[in-house]
Amino acid sequence: MQRPAIFISASFALLGCLAAQTASKSPQTPAGIPRTADGKPNFTGIYEWPKSTGDQCECSATIFDAKSIGALKPGGEPFFEKPTGDPRHDEPRDFCMPAGFPSGMLAAYAIQIFQSKNYFVLIHEFQRMSRVVPLDGRKHRNELEPSFYGDPIGHWEGDTLVIETTNFKRWSLDDHFYNNPNESRMHSDALRTIEHIRWKDAKTLSYLLTIDDPKIFSAPWSQEFTIKARPDWEPTGLMEYECQENNRCPGGHCQGK
Amino acid sequence: MKNPIPLSLFLTVLVAAPLAQAHHSFASEFDLNKKVKVTGVVTKLEWQNPHIWYYVDVKNEDGSMTNWAFSGSSPIQLMRRGIHKDVLAPGTIITVEGYQAKDGSHNGGGSKVTFQDGRSVFTTVADDPNEKK
Repeated sequence: MQRPAIFISASFALLGCLAAQTASKSPQTPAGIPRTADGKPNFTGIYEWPKSTGDQCECSATIFDAKSIGALKPGGEPFFEKPTGDPRHDEPRDFCMPAGFPSGMLAAYAIQIFQSKNYFVLIHEFQRMSRVVPLDGRKHRNELEPSFYGDPIGHWEGDTLVIETTNFKRWSLDDHFYNNPNESRMHSDALRTIEHIRWKDAKTLSYLLTIDDPKIFSAPWSQEFTIKARPDWEPTGLMEYECQENNRCPGGHCQGK
Repeated sequence: MKNPIPLSLFLTVLVAAPLAQAHHSFASEFDLNKKVKVTGVVTKLEWQNPHIWYYVDVKNEDGSMTNWAFSGSSPIQLMRRGIHKDVLAPGTIITVEGYQAKDGSHNGGGSKVTFQDGRSVFTTVADDPNEKK
């Protein structure tokens, strides 16, 4: 009878050891990264958009890899949505409607980041999407109406910036429908996203994006992307993207002349 | 030569051409089964967001002229790839390969533009094809 007790004790010790190892297994910060005056990693600069190494559509944005997407919740809200033939439904951006988050974040345009003690500001060239993330410890503004880009708040976990965003409208999750015009991938109004941003090496950010959507998925799931710093784009800076300037797709039907 | 097309752009011709574009769904507007390849003179260029449009006078077999309208990527994405509006200046003779509008009109998604000297550029969106896994 002694042997099982020893085995159990040893197992608990091993589990405790693994847990301790896991808890201390925070990502190593590469040497030489830029830091702010208060010692935080400094992300201020110009970058490419998040890129993955998985299955991608031949389009102008990164999409989530099918293998990263979590199991659908039985009886949950539909994740895939068929086109209806109404362009206002099938591609609202034809009407210059916003891409929303996270879809717009993955568009293949430049990103510029400004950072201070109390704010992290990310401006995306596509649709000139701007995300102002308070870092001052405030809570979510739950009194607001749901929105395309949600309500983000951020905090530091060591050298990793963590951004939690809630209060979304139901909207397209990504540009999957460019790859497969027969279906869009949707998120629900219960979406909560968590972004973990850290320096992966001196020229690259790790961008871990977690999708927590309990109306659609059984559990949260994540995908890590990389974001490449492009200091060579600094002289040009961000360029203008004004969707209404010459939108030749009003009504969802694109036509020149 | 003013604003010559970089050799690196010429080399991208060797890589498979991406089909889709930003902002509007390529597949919903243009028929992937209706490939077009026309040669003519650029008559007008709209180098504006959200997509460039360029117009090409194409002479038909019966001697009549058709003005084609081709949609491309956004100016931003093209400029970050080193493609500037000078390459599609009115008066330039080009060959456009693309896909015709589903409604059969003379609108199209312009994918590849070839110049008289044989150099080519893509006017659709592309992540850097060389970086694609």
